[in-house]
Amino acid sequence: MARFLMRSVVSTLVTMLIVSAVLFTLLEVSGRDVTVQILGVFATPEQRESLRKQLGLDQPAFIRYVDWLAGNDWRLRDELGNVQTVFNEVSQEPEWYILLDDGRYVRHEACNRVEDIDSGFCESGEMLYLVRNEDSSFFREKAGDVWTEDPETGENIFWGVDTGNRAAKWVEGGGETAFVSTQTGVQELSGAAVQWVPLRKGLIRGDAGVSLKTTRPVSKTLPVRIRNTAILAGLAFVVVMPLALFLGIITGINEGKFFDRFVSVTSLALTATPEFVTGVLLILIVGIYWSTDWLPSLVEAGWLGEWALEALKVPTTTLADSPNAIFEKPKELILPVLTLTAVELGYIVRMTRASMVEVMAAPYIRTAIIKGMPFKRVVFRHAVRNALLAPITIIMLHINYLIGGIVVVEVIFGFQGLGKFIFDHSIFGDPNAVEAAAMVTVIIAIATRLLGDLAYTFLNPRIRYA
Amino acid sequence: MTTTTQPESTASRPPSRLSKIWKSSSIIFDSPIGMVGLAIVVFWVGMAVLSLFWTPHDPNEQYFRDQRRSAYIMTYLPWVDLEDYDEITRPDPRFLLGTDKTGRDILSRVMAGGQVVLLKTRIPLPTDDVRRQDEISALSRFLDRIAPEEWDEFVIPGGVAIWGVLGSLVVGTTFGLLAGYKGGWTEQIVMQIMDALVAFPRIVLYIVVIAALGQGDLVIIIAITVTGAPGIARLSRSLALDIKTRDYIRAAETRGEGLFYIMFREILPNARGPLLVDAMLRVGYAIFTIGTLGFLGLGLQPPEPDWGSMVNDGRELIFSQPNIVIWPAVAISTLVIGLNLFADGVREELSRYQK
Repeated sequence: MARFLMRSVVSTLVTMLIVSAVLFTLLEVSGRDVTVQILGVFATPEQRESLRKQLGLDQPAFIRYVDWLAGNDWRLRDELGNVQTVFNEVSQEPEWYILLDDGRYVRHEACNRVEDIDSGFCESGEMLYLVRNEDSSFFREKAGDVWTEDPETGENIFWGVDTGNRAAKWVEGGGETAFVSTQTGVQELSGAAVQWVPLRKGLIRGDAGVSLKTTRPVSKTLPVRIRNTAILAGLAFVVVMPLALFLGIITGINEGKFFDRFVSVTSLALTATPEFVTGVLLILIVGIYWSTDWLPSLVEAGWLGEWALEALKVPTTTLADSPNAIFEKPKELILPVLTLTAVELGYIVRMTRASMVEVMAAPYIRTAIIKGMPFKRVVFRHAVRNALLAPITIIMLHINYLIGGIVVVEVIFGFQGLGKFIFDHSIFGDPNAVEAAAMVTVIIAIATRLLGDLAYTFLNPRIRYA
Repeated sequence: MTTTTQPESTASRPPSRLSKIWKSSSIIFDSPIGMVGLAIVVFWVGMAVLSLFWTPHDPNEQYFRDQRRSAYIMTYLPWVDLEDYDEITRPDPRFLLGTDKTGRDILSRVMAGGQVVLLKTRIPLPTDDVRRQDEISALSRFLDRIAPEEWDEFVIPGGVAIWGVLGSLVVGTTFGLLAGYKGGWTEQIVMQIMDALVAFPRIVLYIVVIAALGQGDLVIIIAITVTGAPGIARLSRSLALDIKTRDYIRAAETRGEGLFYIMFREILPNARGPLLVDAMLRVGYAIFTIGTLGFLGLGLQPPEPDWGSMVNDGRELIFSQPNIVIWPAVAISTLVIGLNLFADGVREELSRYQK
């Protein structure tokens, strides 16, 4: 058993490595210029080129992959010195600083602010320290002569950390014009660094990088989405499983009767209907016919009180864009959960039914019936346990497929979950966010498969894993 | 291929190949479920074929373009009351199912929607039109050389779903049979890669592949191939594991046959039953996938109708005109249900046949 688990873990890691490398390559060759997405189509080529350099996209893809996987602070330690992350209490996000020998945390900036130059605080292009205070704010201080000579070009250069959490290379007296994208538009910045490398710890040390779309760390935004999706999928699971297993067992016992035919055809129809069709039809039926036609007329006819108008109305879409909206308006979960239920119900019912039919035809069931055991007892003691073997494995394998369905459901209802996260960021072409989310789905897919295997061993003692 | 070894004219020859195929495929007529499925599939294929020659209206013509400029209003004046669209989208004797928001006939579009899925695959050829530069591959450059000058796209028979499933069959069986027959390290490596593909979040794969290669029929075929192959590989591997222990494989090995001969001429024909049933189900999934991609706005090339995109387009008018959404949705579901029923029927009959 231990060996089986070991092998699964190794296989999982290998799979994750393959998936991440393939995904990185695909995103790389996709030719989607993320700078156009960030700056808009009206940005000039110079502005885009400058942003590319600031994002570190001018480095070779292989190096960026290693950076993403294993981080680059250890690689840049020669140039930067003791570079570390410090938690910013205000933004609740980690920031990169260099720890000097005297215990101060500093970042760097070239002197380019008009007020500093006018007041004679520093000369243009002079390096400044941004020294960190205890409360996460900082003050400016002259850095003095920090330049070192580059043996190759003979220029005086300095590697430091800038305010964008990037390692940056400044050249004395040189300095190029960079374009910095701010909320008010693209600003020109003189005396900027000439090369940037975004600092990161790497995925294996728990840092998924910064999303290019939201400019926030993925490890901050992703968990909320995973939680939302877990709530959605969990609710659907709680609704689906008992119902589906119950229906499957009942239809399996009553094979060929009207009830069986009816449930079988319905579940086939549910399975064969794509998620987006189910979702849209449910919006139509529940959101429109029920909420605007049937409900008011029920109230008018006196079947329901006035309270029902608001209480039983089902909202059709998640209008609020906040990730926490499901806690403020839990009713918005109704339609997504219903859709997922409808999509999954048919599949599990069919699996359970097929398995139940097979078991009921087995000789030991016949024997049990012939020896005079009550039918209920035969079903619940002998048949059900064996009949659930197959569906449980298949359902576990199916969870991987379900993730694809969740993407569609979340897109239809504007639900702020993992699926919509993946969709939005893939459309944007945001490698860090997509990679991190994909890793989560890979882990889910493999973990559920493993759980299925384990459940199978538990339910069927004849199976032994070497 | 097999007929080359047989003499051409043999009057007393046992039943011809064609009649053998007919005999083995006619078992479907014994299954009522399979027949219902077949009827549904034939209905939609018939609709698609019919629409090649005749539809009530031109599916791509915008009949209300001049009167209402609805697309413009939709895009730039979203606060305009949707009720105003009633007039152009409502069913009337001329447009039995109504029109969509740009004034195209829903009935014609639903009929023609099966074409790209089942009947034809379009490969755009390099043209001067910048809007069509998305999918210019080596293949389309080659086709441009052999196609007549005035063609701007190359149409091959067989829909996107069919080609996608064929592609995944070819890729899947090659790797699956290789893994199952060779065993050892080959199996480990192949199955590890296939497992990785299975674990790959499909929707990301689709989006990224489509982003990488541009939107178009060929790209969708590639996407379906890549996502379908692991499942088929898994199935054909397990079949190969069973078949390779048989004596005729031993005999072929002793004769000194090559790896590919054994894989494709000895193992594959004996594994075709389950593979065919699986492929039939996969055509259903492929239609499903094409619809979903169309719905997400990543589907086949506009303006030709595609059910998924039609549902997506009609979604914003669902409150005033549910017709636009309902009919393409019904088309997709019934076609997939039909294929499922058909595959179920075949499987049922096959397993009875084997007993």
